[in-house]
Amino acid sequence: MESVVPPQRYKKPLTKKLYPYFFIMPFAILVFIFFVLPAVATIVMSFTDLNASMKPKFIGLTNFTRIFNDYNLPLILWNTAIFAILSLLISLLFALIISIATQYFLKGKVSAVIYRVLWLIPSIIPAVVYVTFWKYVFDPTEEGFLNNIMHQLGIVSDPVSWFTKGAMAIVILATIVSTISGGMILLSAAINSIPEDLYKAARVDGASEKSVIFKIILPTLKWPLMYITISELIGFVSSYFFIMLLTNGGPMRDTTTLSLYAFQQAFNLKYYGYGAAVSLIVVFISFILTLFFLRLFDFNQMIKPSRIED
Amino acid sequence: MSPSTLKKALVHTYMTLFTLPIIAMIVWYFLSATMNFTTGQFTMDNFSFFKEPVEYAGVKLPLIWPIVLNTIMYSLLIVAIEVAISVPTAYAFSRLDFKGKRAAMKFLFLMRSFPGVTLIIATFFILVQMHLVNTYLGVLLVAITGSLPGRVYIMKGFFDEVPWDIEWAAMVDGCTRFTAFKKVLVPYVLPGIGAIAVFSFLGAYGEWFLFKLLIFNDDMLTLAGYLSKLITKENQIINYGLITAIGLFYTLPIVVFYIFTQKIFMKVNLGGAKQV
Repeated sequence: MESVVPPQRYKKPLTKKLYPYFFIMPFAILVFIFFVLPAVATIVMSFTDLNASMKPKFIGLTNFTRIFNDYNLPLILWNTAIFAILSLLISLLFALIISIATQYFLKGKVSAVIYRVLWLIPSIIPAVVYVTFWKYVFDPTEEGFLNNIMHQLGIVSDPVSWFTKGAMAIVILATIVSTISGGMILLSAAINSIPEDLYKAARVDGASEKSVIFKIILPTLKWPLMYITISELIGFVSSYFFIMLLTNGGPMRDTTTLSLYAFQQAFNLKYYGYGAAVSLIVVFISFILTLFFLRLFDFNQMIKPSRIED
Repeated sequence: MSPSTLKKALVHTYMTLFTLPIIAMIVWYFLSATMNFTTGQFTMDNFSFFKEPVEYAGVKLPLIWPIVLNTIMYSLLIVAIEVAISVPTAYAFSRLDFKGKRAAMKFLFLMRSFPGVTLIIATFFILVQMHLVNTYLGVLLVAITGSLPGRVYIMKGFFDEVPWDIEWAAMVDGCTRFTAFKKVLVPYVLPGIGAIAVFSFLGAYGEWFLFKLLIFNDDMLTLAGYLSKLITKENQIINYGLITAIGLFYTLPIVVFYIFTQKIFMKVNLGGAKQV
């Protein structure tokens, strides 16, 4: 049956075509069960009134109209925005300062390594251990660090209840200190890639430190900064681990963000359907940000074709 | 010419100021665990959790040693599974051609920037349906799915860096694609595998959220869940001595481990920021 004419194009045998799929199979299965399915289930659940009684009924858009009439909503949206934006801005600023200081001013020094190692510690140690420190600093009893110091200095006589006064500020502070290092790593790597000659040339031309920073370093950091901005923004909008450990959304709802609200509605109050609807909104926001992300960073460049035909 | 000494002194001052909270945190941890603040004397009382079960303010917790064993087993298992899955996947994404690669890559990117916690409500119900609530398997599967995209991404970066010549040379010498992967490429990306193993380990070691949500038996907890039971109880005075003592015991090994591996953290280019 073999044809005499050699085939025009090389045709991959079926086994070779299937072969790449074996490599991604375990990953694909996991992703399907624990990412795709939950995503679909979230959408389905958000149109039902699933609660502790476990007898879901289709109720259309009621959950969504309920969200927009929820009297907690303005406060929670405000909290989410404040938390995300302030955390992002301050942590970016500090990541920038620290990476410029350690990679430019103190480049190659032992002290630079020490600062970096220390700064990474808050993100290395388990979150549970990390937040305990902040709980101690702002502890409302006399035992707390700030209260103790202020008492000994004679500023206040009664212990101050920090968490009722500025819970959000404390949450933001704790979040910032542990997220700075993520940005710091990327920015440091980018600054490190600037050739030394560029600095030398700038100095020969009599450039000041200020213009070295603004004309050489900052332009190099454009892409890493964009990257960090969007990825951290998504993180801040949707994750609530520190908030949960520090204040659990309280006092009242002062530190409840949208995603924590979804969690509380579902697992504390057992309004699973409503919780799913709220988290769908978080998903929607994250999705928009991610699409923006894909646009911004040329996606095609990341895909490289195989250079072996088999 | 290097920047002047004055400038350097200024930089050092600022950096020290910034780093002060972290130094304070470390110092406090050691002091609080080993000192009685009211008498100001050195004490090892807080470390009695080594010998007897912890009981404080109505929270009764089991003896710590089985919990330690759980933590180590869980973390090592996570490392093994994440490495075993992410290396072949990253290889396929980096080196092989297959239908749907573009879409799969886009999806990977979406998942990577997309935090799984937003889907946790539905995930919980899927686990209930699969009878995996209150089992380690359930926690493992959810945790792994959450962190895999990031690991695959880092690994892909390492595979992308391997020169094609090496793979060609291996195949000219009679390797199949798979033996080339096993014998040539994997040894070449060992630093990357080391990096993701370290990340996986740290992630698993600190995991408390999934344990809080999915595990109901106290004797199945890991150290993070164990500690979170002590600090998240509302309206109680926190026993800092006890918590810092457990925290120190819990954290010290990984901080030492981290100081030896910290170069890895700076080396890994986490993708995306590549386009400088």
